[in-house]
Amino acid sequence: MAHFQIQDLSFSYPTAKGKESLHHVNITIQKGEYVVLCGKSGSGKTTLLRQLKSVLAPHGKRSGEILFNGTPIEKVSQRDQSSKIGYVMQNPDDQIVTDKVWHELAFGLESLGCDQKTMRARVSEMACYFGIADWFHKDVATLSGGQKQLLNLASIMAMQPEVLILDEPTSQLDPIAASDFLNTVRKINIELGTTVIITEHRLEDIFPYADRAIVMDAGRVIADDTPRNIGKLLYAQKNDMFAAMPTPVRVFYGAEGAGNCPLTVREGRNWLSNAYSDPKVKALPAEVLEDEVANPALSLKELWFRYEKDSPDVLRGVSAEVPNGSLYAIVGGNGAGKSTTLKAICGICKPYRGKVKVFGKPIEKYKSAELFCGCLAMLPQDPKSLFVKKTVREDLAEMTKDEKKIAEIAAICEIEGLLDSHPYDLSGGEQQRSALAKVLLTEPKLLLLDEPTKGIDSFFKEKLAAILCKLKEQGITVVMVSHDVEFCAKYADMVSMFFDGQILTTDTPRRFFGNNSFYTTAANRMSRHVFSMAVTAEDVIELCGRNRE
Amino acid sequence: MTDAFSKCHPAVNFLFFVGVIGTGVVIGHPAYLLAGIVTGAIYYLLLNGAKGLKMILGLLPLYIFLTAINPLLNTYGATPLFYLLGRPYTLEALLYGGTIASMFVAMLIWFGCYNKVLTSDKFTSLFGNLIPAISLLLVMVLRMVPNFIRKTQQIIGARKSIGKGAQKLQEGMTVLGALTSWALEGSVITGDSMRARGYGSAKRSSFVIYRMTVLDRLLVVIMAALMAFTILAASLGQMSAIFTPALDIAPVSWGVIPYTAYLLIPVALHIKEAISWHISRSRI
Repeated sequence: MAHFQIQDLSFSYPTAKGKESLHHVNITIQKGEYVVLCGKSGSGKTTLLRQLKSVLAPHGKRSGEILFNGTPIEKVSQRDQSSKIGYVMQNPDDQIVTDKVWHELAFGLESLGCDQKTMRARVSEMACYFGIADWFHKDVATLSGGQKQLLNLASIMAMQPEVLILDEPTSQLDPIAASDFLNTVRKINIELGTTVIITEHRLEDIFPYADRAIVMDAGRVIADDTPRNIGKLLYAQKNDMFAAMPTPVRVFYGAEGAGNCPLTVREGRNWLSNAYSDPKVKALPAEVLEDEVANPALSLKELWFRYEKDSPDVLRGVSAEVPNGSLYAIVGGNGAGKSTTLKAICGICKPYRGKVKVFGKPIEKYKSAELFCGCLAMLPQDPKSLFVKKTVREDLAEMTKDEKKIAEIAAICEIEGLLDSHPYDLSGGEQQRSALAKVLLTEPKLLLLDEPTKGIDSFFKEKLAAILCKLKEQGITVVMVSHDVEFCAKYADMVSMFFDGQILTTDTPRRFFGNNSFYTTAANRMSRHVFSMAVTAEDVIELCGRNRE
Repeated sequence: MTDAFSKCHPAVNFLFFVGVIGTGVVIGHPAYLLAGIVTGAIYYLLLNGAKGLKMILGLLPLYIFLTAINPLLNTYGATPLFYLLGRPYTLEALLYGGTIASMFVAMLIWFGCYNKVLTSDKFTSLFGNLIPAISLLLVMVLRMVPNFIRKTQQIIGARKSIGKGAQKLQEGMTVLGALTSWALEGSVITGDSMRARGYGSAKRSSFVIYRMTVLDRLLVVIMAALMAFTILAASLGQMSAIFTPALDIAPVSWGVIPYTAYLLIPVALHIKEAISWHISRSRI
């Protein structure tokens, strides 16, 4: 019997004036299946997932039917729904209710009114299964984002659900925590047979393991097939979603490969070794590297910083020179001090040793008004921290009275249509661009970005990249801190590795990622045995093309 | 934390502090107050290490101030020491001031220990079964406060890096407004997350992580016995202390022994564990 059966489901929000967010959706999900739901932001993924649990279903006009184990979902009691259908949301922080890890683990069981003995058994079992035992007694405030999300998952698994629904669970996590989390989800699916329905931007990590992928566009299901076939289908349709496919899939179709499409880096390597065993052209021309940076936009000299007198140093001698008019990326692990470096540049943190020079002038010599007006500005990691008004337009008007300028910047950031919305009603990518517009109204010559690609899908990433290119053409220098290796490899001019409180190496992306063997892009890992210094899917496709001529 | 008493059942912790604070605010006899301050200070130092010394020494000026100010307000007493603006400054009032100050200081020190031992989660787990709704509310508030502080700092930092924040008052209002909408947004998600996990679908039970051990039961018995003797001593008038108009303080008698023993329970446990740990380690 099917676990979930969605029959001819349509849904429209009361404010949408009849425009349907879901349009005649038909999906059947079998017991124990691992199903990936993908689609652009705003294609109706979250709306669909929320329909699968009555308490979360938004208000609106609904037609069609959802059967859970053969019973219409409205007829399944709230208690059964709570324990049998687990739902993990996007934001790791706001989902947590209590202040202690052990209490959070027990929250669901407490709600169901379980007795002490059952709770003890379930909680200890879950703590062991998820490796939480070490931080069982901790305050949730001391956990990292990855740990918080794992706690959310464990707390739901303690109720022993039959289905696990995950709505972009890793969008706020760094890549390592994200793949940890996704591995745990996969383990649950394989070892416990729990049905998994997941939406994700990061398809590289889940596509190869999913039983089925469902692609949505504008509230319709446009494809429902195995992951391998989905790649083929999207390529044939020239769908925007193809850009979100894992690198091996994009390279395979981009290079007009024949046979079975590779999904993982390993399969991609094998395919490349067979198809291009002895390539004539092995590398693309290398970028030229200028040794001396003349008139750097930003120079950091030996910065040392710690948050408290007795705490360890976060920055341990950070030095860097950022060439004028370039897109400079700093990559590195979590908690290495990347964001702190940005804070030190804008003077939110004061380094106790070292010098920050912006356009050749030490930062202390600037008056605050002078520095942040027409010179330096930062886009924080969470764009929400910049919104203080009821509409995007009012927020932008806070920066300048000049309506023409607002219109101009709105056009660059492509948010003209969003100006009258409340900032909190926008999707992650739209919020990011609105916040960027606000920052750009200070007319910075040096723009700092903290994790600009966090939580936004591949489609929006391309938009963001296009905006950054436009800014670069206007002569603005951009420094960004990011976990997103693929994005940095594709768009940055220079990449620096941040580790142990300092910048260890700086190079052009091709040389930088080309020489790394672990900390590098999927395209490079897949092709490094055949080609050298190919770091993006485009590089590999180009090389394949040249070899086929 | 490695303090032995902190590892006992929260109910034992709570009973102990009820006893300490209950007697502390009633007994005004100097010997008992001295016992209260000394034992409290020792336990405070054991809990906080060298950092605790700073806080205890910091109470000294407060003690002197409270002692010295009483005779200025209260001129009763038979033995004037000197006259200030025509008002007598009496020995009895000075001593009475010292007593009040001792009580106050002792309570501050013991409340310091209480904070360290009976953490919020222990407190809520203790009363969670009695009033589940309120204890959950308390837990959520406890979580919200540090969250708000963090978010406020984030907003201020973000605004500083686009050059906002010069006009202090107006800026404060703006930040508060932004924080409110952010918090509301967060609470919608928290609400969803609670309902998704069955909140309100059944009568809540409460997960208790602490268990009563043999030591806990034993401690309750000991505490009850010592407290009974203390109350007996008090009823025999051993703790009476009258300052004005003339000094009349009861002589120190056996009652101070059970009282001090009661106050020393956490210290004794701490030392006992330190010693037994030392012995078991030296055997290895």
